[in-house]
Amino acid sequence: MASRTLAVWEHRKVVGLLVRRDLKVKYQQSVLGYAWTMLEPLAMTLVYFFVFGIILEANRGMPEDATEFGGFLLFLVAGILPWTTFGQILGEAPRTMITHSKLITTMKVPREIFPLATVGTKLVEYLLTWPVLLVFVFALGGRPTVEGLLLWLPLAVVLTFMFGLGVTLFLSSVNVLLRDVERLTRILTRLLFYGSAILFPAVMVLDSEDLPGWAATIFQLNPLMGIFQMHRTVWFAGFEELTPTTLALTSSVVGSVLMLVIGYWTFRRLETSVLKEL
Amino acid sequence: MAQTTYGAEGTGGPVIEAKGLGVKFAVNRRRKRSLREMFIHGTKRDPNAEGDEFWPLRDVSFEVARGDCVGIVGKNGTGKSTLLKLIAGVLMPDEGEVHVHGRVAPLLELRAGFNDNLTGRENVYLVGSLHGMSEKEIDERFEEIIDFAEIKSKFVDSPVRHYSSGMKVRLGFALISQLEHPIMLVDEVLAVGDKAFKRKCYEAIDRMLANQRTMVLVSHSENDLRRFCNRGLYIKGGGLALDTDIEAALDAYNEDTKAEIAERKKREAEKKKREADQKREDGEGPNGGRAA
Repeated sequence: MASRTLAVWEHRKVVGLLVRRDLKVKYQQSVLGYAWTMLEPLAMTLVYFFVFGIILEANRGMPEDATEFGGFLLFLVAGILPWTTFGQILGEAPRTMITHSKLITTMKVPREIFPLATVGTKLVEYLLTWPVLLVFVFALGGRPTVEGLLLWLPLAVVLTFMFGLGVTLFLSSVNVLLRDVERLTRILTRLLFYGSAILFPAVMVLDSEDLPGWAATIFQLNPLMGIFQMHRTVWFAGFEELTPTTLALTSSVVGSVLMLVIGYWTFRRLETSVLKEL
Repeated sequence: MAQTTYGAEGTGGPVIEAKGLGVKFAVNRRRKRSLREMFIHGTKRDPNAEGDEFWPLRDVSFEVARGDCVGIVGKNGTGKSTLLKLIAGVLMPDEGEVHVHGRVAPLLELRAGFNDNLTGRENVYLVGSLHGMSEKEIDERFEEIIDFAEIKSKFVDSPVRHYSSGMKVRLGFALISQLEHPIMLVDEVLAVGDKAFKRKCYEAIDRMLANQRTMVLVSHSENDLRRFCNRGLYIKGGGLALDTDIEAALDAYNEDTKAEIAERKKREAEKKKREADQKREDGEGPNGGRAA
């Protein structure tokens, strides 16, 4: 295990090369490269703002004082941008080993570097969403706080990509042996989008009178729910309604670590069979 | 336990050691194992019956010394390429172990790693770095690589998807032959390019061998094998049948091939004879062949 980690570290340059290659290919394909990648989440944000914010009034779950700090629109943007990156991780994870099969079957490198490169590329793309996010923060009067930027932001980013790496390790190896996993993942991504309360404050679910207590517990056990709540708490620190509950916080930390362990364990366990099937 | 290790380049002792090497594939899988089975029982309790296991390679042991050029001969599908992949470390053995001392330059699939959307120049830098060359090394050798590959300068900066397949393979060979790894694994790649390019490849390989580098070559071309190799491994039915000099290995292989052809001819002759007998019998039937 330790020697393996060392081997991956020795190949960090290769990870960098793969990340740079993917970004290069992606952004040189079209002139508007960057603009296109931002346009989609922004268009969706507008749609969701009208449907959920204005028609369904999901903004009633927002605390009233939060309106002057960006309100429901900033809440949506701050959730949808990281979710877009995360959704792309889920979308590409199953194919990671398959798309690199030529390299994997001719080059002797620790195989972990391919999932790492996929997640690394997404991390860079996530950082590239920040300029857009900041435009919204300033335009809507978002309020940066010490608690938000030094506690919730690092925690949210680390957990998102830790969970993402675990999922990628898991899906990339399992999908080589059972190709249906790819389709299943697409459905699950959809479910998780709503299950992680991206479009409405989670407190609306927790306070709902029709929801039995056990369902609320399950809702909070979804690690992604807590993680994406943190992405919003960065701008709404101090509002108790928008801060993860202790249960949600615990399950996101434990869930992310667990996902990484399970993902890595699966990856190593299936490695021999995966190499034969590629 | 089955394992592959890569050590530092030592001064003495064999460069490649294989001990009781075996690799197993499952065939005739009527169904894939379910997730539950895969995780609970792992590889030990495979629900597929034992008859469905196939060992393309089993119980193969040999050593390759520094400076050797080893040719692997054998029929199609006897596990030659599998053996090469095990040495390259891109396949993990289910049995036995391989120890490789020194870095390996795999000439297994020359276009591997080229990205169609990147230019020739970008691809040379990408694949060269993937194989462990530093940027400075590539800078120094870039002209040489392009010259060797006979890529016209106007194409160097166009995407590789516009290259002909010959250009891609030439660029791949030119690049990988620049690697200074002490061990080279070559799988049928000498069959690339036109006559003139082939000659250049031969010369490049001669130069590398003169440099005390170790090579393992899989090929069906007896000329190539005789030209480069001093040792031969004859793989037959997934096992190592002979480990001698290349002439003896090729002789044994040709002998077996002849025997096989003779066998097949004999069977065909028998079949024809049976068919002829059958016809005659039908013809002698009471109504004589087709009814009137």
